[in-house]
Amino acid sequence: MNPLDKLPEEMEELVDSFSSTPVAGDLNVGITQYSFWMFVAIIILVAIIFTFKKKQAASGLVPKGRFVNGVEYLVEYCRDDLCKALLGDTWREHFPFIATMFFFILANNIVGVIPGCKPGTGCIGTTAALALVSFVYFIYVGMKNKGVLGYIKSLAPAGVAFPMNALVWVIELFSTFLRLVTLAVRLFCNLFAGHVVLGTFAILASLFFEPIMQGITMAAVGQAGASVFWVAILLVIYAVELLVAAIQAYVFTLLSAVYIQLAEAEEH
Amino acid sequence: MGVIGYGLGVIGAALGIGLAAYGATTSMARQPEVQGRLFTVFILASAFVEALALIGFVVTLIA
Repeated sequence: MNPLDKLPEEMEELVDSFSSTPVAGDLNVGITQYSFWMFVAIIILVAIIFTFKKKQAASGLVPKGRFVNGVEYLVEYCRDDLCKALLGDTWREHFPFIATMFFFILANNIVGVIPGCKPGTGCIGTTAALALVSFVYFIYVGMKNKGVLGYIKSLAPAGVAFPMNALVWVIELFSTFLRLVTLAVRLFCNLFAGHVVLGTFAILASLFFEPIMQGITMAAVGQAGASVFWVAILLVIYAVELLVAAIQAYVFTLLSAVYIQLAEAEEH
Repeated sequence: MGVIGYGLGVIGAALGIGLAAYGATTSMARQPEVQGRLFTVFILASAFVEALALIGFVVTLIA
């Protein structure tokens, strides 16, 4: 009657529940649970933006109220800490892209933390697409600033003698493509791992609570006590997950901004 | 077995995050005005390190 005996099979079920299953259509053409929650996040985001615009227009130049000030704070944070701090003079050009990325990922992550919802970014497909967008964007910025050949040449730092130059260029090319992989995998792993940990503690809490439902004995009461402990840990991890949701959105956009800055920089 | 492998792998990530936090706190103590810029760098470095530990976690679960 050890509740931990059932844990391995419950864990397998939990991990299985994270693989994409179609809600409508099939896996080739259709909507999986991840894309469904992604659409929900987009709708919420668009609704927030439009209510913000409406309320802002109504309140005049000085923002009033918690909602308007809150959204304004987020946008200003994105503008000052992500764009102005990293990109310098050209921040205005890249602000729309960076802000879009930030708010899209943030909305997805926050929706994913709500119990019963799945994060749109908790699927490798979504994060790979986001990383690809960011990758193409910073390559495009680099090529626009330095010319196609100039950008390709600028991957290797100037001032290195000939044979080493080629070697460094190959390594830099490799690390540029590695950025694509790490951007996608970092976001996916953070969300996936976080949700698996949340799920594990939820399973533990329910497994330890089961015996007391069948009859009150000394051992069952003890296990129910342990269940309360698991729920306490679950709540702490939930708070950490909320933090991770915000930090990962920040990290993804921060890295995109850093890559754009590197692509724009003069010979380094 | 996988759990032991994950534990071994996470040692490196733990050391890395510890070093990053150590560096950040000491420099913040020496120069409190640099806090804002340092926070960005610290989060960036932690994200790089943390990704390794998380990849280990996910691989343990999937494999």
